[in-house]
Amino acid sequence: MESPVSSPSTQRGAPDQRRGFIAKVAAAVIGGISLLVPAVTALVAYFNPIRQKSPGGEFFRLTALAALPEDGTPRRFSVITDRVDAWNRYPREPIGAVWLRRTGDKDKPVAAFQVVCPHAGCIIGLDSTPDGPRFFCPCHVAGFDLEGRRTDRPSPSPRDMDALEVEIRGDSDVWVKFENFVTGTSEKVAES
Amino acid sequence: MNTVLQWIDERLGAVELWRLWAEHPVPRGAAWKRIIPAVLLFAVVVQGITGFVLLSYYTPSDNSAWESVYYLQSYVSAGWLLRALHHYTANLLVLLIGLYLIQLVVTAEYRKPRELVFWTVVVLGCVSLGLMLTGDLLAWDRNSYSASLVRFSYLKLVPLVGGDLYKVAIGGPGPVFGHLTLPRFQALHIGLFGGSFIALLVLLHYLLSRAERQEAKAGQSTEVRWPAATLPAAIACAVFMVLILGLSLSHGTTPPHAGIPLGSPANPADTYAAARPEWAFLGLYELVHLFPGEYGIVPIFVIPGIAMLLVLAMPFTGRGRGGYLFNLGVVAVLVLGNIVLACITLARDAADEQHQAAIVNEKERAERVVLLAHLNGGIPPDGALGLLRRDPKMRGPELFTAQCASCHSHSGAVEHEIISEEVSAPNLGAYGTREWVAGWLDVERITSDEYFGKTAFRAGKMVEFVRTMFNEKEMEDEDRADREKLVAALSAEAKLPSQAEIDRRDADVIKEGRELILDFGCTDCHKFHDRGSLGTAPDLTGYASREWTIGITRAPTHRRFYGDTNDRMPTYAPLDAKPEDHLLSEEEIGLLADWLMGVWQEAPEGN
Repeated sequence: MESPVSSPSTQRGAPDQRRGFIAKVAAAVIGGISLLVPAVTALVAYFNPIRQKSPGGEFFRLTALAALPEDGTPRRFSVITDRVDAWNRYPREPIGAVWLRRTGDKDKPVAAFQVVCPHAGCIIGLDSTPDGPRFFCPCHVAGFDLEGRRTDRPSPSPRDMDALEVEIRGDSDVWVKFENFVTGTSEKVAES
Repeated sequence: MNTVLQWIDERLGAVELWRLWAEHPVPRGAAWKRIIPAVLLFAVVVQGITGFVLLSYYTPSDNSAWESVYYLQSYVSAGWLLRALHHYTANLLVLLIGLYLIQLVVTAEYRKPRELVFWTVVVLGCVSLGLMLTGDLLAWDRNSYSASLVRFSYLKLVPLVGGDLYKVAIGGPGPVFGHLTLPRFQALHIGLFGGSFIALLVLLHYLLSRAERQEAKAGQSTEVRWPAATLPAAIACAVFMVLILGLSLSHGTTPPHAGIPLGSPANPADTYAAARPEWAFLGLYELVHLFPGEYGIVPIFVIPGIAMLLVLAMPFTGRGRGGYLFNLGVVAVLVLGNIVLACITLARDAADEQHQAAIVNEKERAERVVLLAHLNGGIPPDGALGLLRRDPKMRGPELFTAQCASCHSHSGAVEHEIISEEVSAPNLGAYGTREWVAGWLDVERITSDEYFGKTAFRAGKMVEFVRTMFNEKEMEDEDRADREKLVAALSAEAKLPSQAEIDRRDADVIKEGRELILDFGCTDCHKFHDRGSLGTAPDLTGYASREWTIGITRAPTHRRFYGDTNDRMPTYAPLDAKPEDHLLSEEEIGLLADWLMGVWQEAPEGN
């Protein structure tokens, strides 16, 4: 048996160099792998919010038809249901709000709009002007007419106000499919 | 003693390190160039000290964050000063980094061997903005909440991963901030941005020293660092501290309004109409207005991204004289552009009445919530928002505007005027007072728009009754006196706290008035205590009292009030309907009644 150390070598020092290189790589890899455990765990935990779904997509009864002014003036209604936030469950709290108005149209007597501005998520209010009421978002001064269309061009809002699906049930109850939409985009995409 | 120090230093080598640092030769004048980095180092120490104590008082939770800041601001000795020092230092820090960048561009100190110095300062600037963005929200007041909601919603503009980025940033599914947003922002503020700021600042000083050493070797005239080069730095730090202290004391020294005023607590159900970003982002805010919403990504990411690339490329672009001038131009455009854009915003907001009104309203809210917390001996477990939600003075006008003002005005000699655009029902200002009740018994007033003018009762029995009984032309002084007594008796039914004193004083008059109610034949139509009956006209028993007001708001169609003859008043909470079908909850109707009657907590006189 010949020991590898005593074996003749054509290039003296090369095995030492090689061993040195292997040691360096091994040190980096072993250290790196050890660090992977906390790093990966931390990343998975930190990015957990991605897995959570935005609430909405259900129909809610918002009001009785009779509560809406005949002249088409919009009124704001809160969407009340159990609100869940991380470990808390709040019974019967507003999870959002909707503008409702009568349209005067027989087939679609009520129009519903998200109060959240499609631009950057502020709350759209009602503003009185000499020409009557209009929707108005104060954050970046965006105006909308009562049909939810942008009034100023260019408007800071990338799209018109987000209309919501309305159903009149039993001839008297206004039900609305409440959804949140991604802000800032020109197409209307429901939050997921 | 000396032996002990020697023993330590043999192991520590501090003296040697100190000598190395203090006796280090630096180019003459280098100290002046390094003033701002020296002040930044000082500022970081200030932020470390003040931040540690702030952290010791702060709870990052959505229903106690504002409350803990309020406590620090109002009750902790020098708490307001601590918060102000941290705030102003942070703001001046951002400003100083900006100024330092301008200095480096003007002196072309991005050139070899200082490229890394320059880039480090650019990244340091970004980190300081990150500190500002994350630190701002922690106070959890209305402005910081609304402004943060807007700016973080811009993350959604990032293609493909925007929605996920937003969720990760706010620590929940959205669309609004939740429980975990504050802990996340706090962790980013201290752990990520705070930590990397310190690391980058140390790196900057190391790089500067290295560059100076190289310049010193190159044969420039030199001086020893300590104290020739450090004295200017120490003076600059002192000036900086005086400035910070001056700003911190500029709002007086009486908490809770000293230092940095704290806004009203954040309310996720509503955004603040006058929300604006901090000064450093005002230019960007205005830039958003220049582009239609479809191209939102341009002002938010593309233009700042291009600006950032131009700045980062300065060491390459600025080699010759032309390049130097080009870089100077880039900085001038960025600085002037930001200032011009910010001024446009400020000018527009200053001229915008609604914006100014929203600011005044917010100031009142902030003062009101502090007063309520004080009057109630503390904040209830559901937080300061609960205090505001149950306060007639704050909620009354909001509810009235939303629910009542489409028909009723609330004007006259009242604290909070609300004018209906299309009046079609009685004015409820000064509700229940003698002055208000007197209007019902005056032909001119009852037929005016302030009372029945725009209602179905304009030509009704009541108006007819007043016309006959109180005909101004035929009335004698005695009749007028009788009417006054009647009014006093009727108004006393409301039991208004504001009239308690005169009601007590006029007890005899009121007694006579009650008799007159019967004599005048009011009870032919109205019920009044044990006389008359319900079903023809509203009950006068307890007229305009809290209980009566709640009753008529709940169901004006009830036979105790207008019954079938009710004009257009909605039934807000009929007794036979389920609570979830009510337009207003019982609590809300109670708040409206209290507000109409002027019943709310106020600071005791002379306080």
